[in-house]
Amino acid sequence: MDRDTRDGARWSGGRRRDFLKLTGATAGLAALAGCGGDDGESEYTRSEPIPEPTTYAAGDLYNIEEWRGTGPLIGERPDEYEGRSMLDLPDLRGELEVYLGGGEGGLYENLMKRIQNTYREFEVFIRKAPSSQLANTIVEETSAGQSPADIFWAIDAGSVGIVADNDATVSLPEPLTTVIPDTFHPTDEWVGTMGRARSIPYNTNEFDAEDIPDNILAFDSDDRFDDAMGWAPTYGAFQSFVTAMRLIEGESRTREWLNGVQELNIGTYDNELVVANRVASGELSSGFSNHYYSRLVREERPDAPLELAFTRNDAGALINCSGTEIIKGTGNETLAVDFLHHLLSIEAQEFLATRGYEYPLLPSVPPVGDLPTIDELNPPDFDLSRLSDVEPTLQLLRDTGAL
Amino acid sequence: MSAVDRLVAPFRRVTDDDRPAALTLLAGAIAAAVLSPLIWILLRVLQVDTSYAASILLRRTTVEILLTSLGLVGAVTAASILLGVPLAFLTVRTDLPLRRFWTIAVALPLVIPSYLGAFTFISAFGPSGQLADVLAPLGVDIPTIYGFWGTTLILTLYTYPYVFITTRASLLSFDQQLVEAARSLGISRWEAFKRVTLPQLLPGIASGGLLVALYALSDFGTPSLMRLDVFTRVIYVEYNAFGRETAALLSVQLLAITAVILAIESRVGNESDGAYVGTKSGGENGTTVSLGAWKLPALGFCATVVFLCLVVPLWILAHWLVRSPSQATRTGLEFQWIFAANSALVSLAAALACAVLAVPVAYLAATHRSKLAELIDRATYVGYAMPGIVLGLALVFFAVWYESSANALLGGDFAPTLYQALPLLIFAYVVRFLPQAVGATRSSVLRVDQSLSEAARSLGRSPVDAFREITLPLIAPGVIGGAALVFLTTMKELPATLLLHPTGFETLVTYIWSVREVGYYGSAAIPALALIVVSGLSMVVILSQETQ
Repeated sequence: MDRDTRDGARWSGGRRRDFLKLTGATAGLAALAGCGGDDGESEYTRSEPIPEPTTYAAGDLYNIEEWRGTGPLIGERPDEYEGRSMLDLPDLRGELEVYLGGGEGGLYENLMKRIQNTYREFEVFIRKAPSSQLANTIVEETSAGQSPADIFWAIDAGSVGIVADNDATVSLPEPLTTVIPDTFHPTDEWVGTMGRARSIPYNTNEFDAEDIPDNILAFDSDDRFDDAMGWAPTYGAFQSFVTAMRLIEGESRTREWLNGVQELNIGTYDNELVVANRVASGELSSGFSNHYYSRLVREERPDAPLELAFTRNDAGALINCSGTEIIKGTGNETLAVDFLHHLLSIEAQEFLATRGYEYPLLPSVPPVGDLPTIDELNPPDFDLSRLSDVEPTLQLLRDTGAL
Repeated sequence: MSAVDRLVAPFRRVTDDDRPAALTLLAGAIAAAVLSPLIWILLRVLQVDTSYAASILLRRTTVEILLTSLGLVGAVTAASILLGVPLAFLTVRTDLPLRRFWTIAVALPLVIPSYLGAFTFISAFGPSGQLADVLAPLGVDIPTIYGFWGTTLILTLYTYPYVFITTRASLLSFDQQLVEAARSLGISRWEAFKRVTLPQLLPGIASGGLLVALYALSDFGTPSLMRLDVFTRVIYVEYNAFGRETAALLSVQLLAITAVILAIESRVGNESDGAYVGTKSGGENGTTVSLGAWKLPALGFCATVVFLCLVVPLWILAHWLVRSPSQATRTGLEFQWIFAANSALVSLAAALACAVLAVPVAYLAATHRSKLAELIDRATYVGYAMPGIVLGLALVFFAVWYESSANALLGGDFAPTLYQALPLLIFAYVVRFLPQAVGATRSSVLRVDQSLSEAARSLGRSPVDAFREITLPLIAPGVIGGAALVFLTTMKELPATLLLHPTGFETLVTYIWSVREVGYYGSAAIPALALIVVSGLSMVVILSQETQ
């Protein structure tokens, strides 16, 4: 069987391919110029330039319907995308070792396998473990010698950030990071891949959209939420949200908020899926959860009276992201960069967006269902790398009796 | 048992001067190897600024954590003895109906990883859990299972079999005629118990209690799920928050507690020094205690324990299996039976390695009761109390350091691969679980009459031949029992496995971890059941070694 199916697609591409090659060539010069400002350690070399992002009709992408997932919630997908298509990226040839922290229940792994199967001479070895544990491992490896990992891809920005802070990464070339909004690559050491938004799930029989405050700090003193809300304080994403609140609003205001919400008899649950389920069943009228849990509820009960509200410009609207980076000393830097280009290609972002419920960070790829696009959300101005500062948060949660 | 025990004699004290140098060196090298990861902890601690170290060690929360950890270890050990000793007595010395069945059933909880037990308990009895919902209309209100007492309950339910198994072994090798002899000499029943029975049972109870105590100290999963701040949980939280130095400091404290526990157990174990060991086992020699009216309460006791330890988790697992939600839009890695084979393969290798390495250490400790021999024996227990993540990161550092320096020295990529290869993973298991094999082997060596191998020597056999032809066959059941114990604990080990497994080498526990983490409980049910069945087979091996 021919594994290089992408070549097959190219053959059927005909005239379009020639056109794309033309636009790619001019864009590539700019791309090459872009990687001149590296830190000197970089071994990134490429003769064939990376094309500039451009607009593609859906039909001009690489078999987009095969990358796209199916299901009732996916709804209409766009006819046009802006970014880079896998068709116009350099071929992958060689082997890569990827440390994968978390990974959305195998979805990230499936994407990498699928990319592997697109090329005849490319193989990716995936090592899975909790993201913080892999971050510690890489730091330990680089302090002793050379990490076997070429790439680290983790579900939370904190873990990716800590590896970069420990000087264990190489800077990414500019063409790679330009397609992703700045919020999701606060440094050149790593780049975000998919986002997870904090949200307020609410029961539509209890509230209308405009009833939900757009300020997270309003929730600790609003009697309408007395005995009606749920949270999951042991959950990592919740703790990241509190970390963000602590760093944005200050420790004393956060303490006040945590106490206030508890005085409103908020219900404690093991995880945020349970919170979303209880809101859908009417047992709770609202809660705090990551956005995708309500999608999971909808998948099982399509007509559940459940909607999401988002606060504005505060910790309640935090968008955490999965991120990826290249490990210092890798012998495969060029291949690694090309691989990351594949992860940020339109096809890969469409794959992750439609088969999971995360936000694609490539702005032209919309999230599934009736979620607002990432441009319509108002996340706080906040450096996601700082989310690794969890310990004072845990202390605060314990002090206030939330944990 | 009877064949062995007809040969059993009081164990001889051998003076220090006939301690063979070669054996001591070998045992010492084994102990040094399993202690080597400690060097990494010291390296990390030395990086810590002294005033910061003092502030961490003396802060209020550290003291609280210390007290909580000590309390947990004490409570779990005491509760395990209260559960394990009566169960051992019931299944060895009484006319309990279906004794064989209960023996296996009450030993089986050991094969269930305690984190899985905790997880199923939370599903059953936690806030709006499945059993709690069933019981609520009946007016049964279940108190919160989180916190100190919940953690104590779970850890006890899944570790008391250590005490059960070691106490059974003591009871089985215990000569009831000794008590009768004592009684015939006019000693009261209580005096006879205190002076004859207790000294003989105490070492067994103590060695089981030691395994329970160190397990309770080193377990992360259960306190974490039950939300109790003990050393391991805080160490993990520190690693998650990237406070590696603080984690190393806390690990040193944890190891200090380990040393204290080992010292306490040594004293209890040594109290048996003066005990007279009988020549006849008490298992089947007709001195069975008739339960009479206590038969029903005794059965109720056994049934309650089995219900809590086995029926609840299996019921929840079955429930997950039946009610697993549709996963139409997301497909993770499918379960493959090769994962079970991988688990069994590494566990078998770890069991074999531990069996081989345990023999010199245990033989030295049992036949040459010197301070050095005892120190070597105790040293092998330290790794058992080391949290998996600490051990794992230590080995990550050493393996990468070795490969980098060896390759630099040889000027190329020539050094044999160690990092993320199976031998390193198996070594990690040996560090963690060797004491289980040492303990079982040591007690079986103690039961062997040294004059037998001396007789062989006097007939012209070399020491090695005498050991191979006489001692080894006699201690084989103990060695096999210990190896089986290592096998089943390796099957359920998670943290070190996640850190050190070869890339792409998936085992049952790593698979359970990966699906459970994202809430696919249905996908966790089959591998969890496979884990329980495979480990359950090794439990049958352990119990069958008793009666040989």
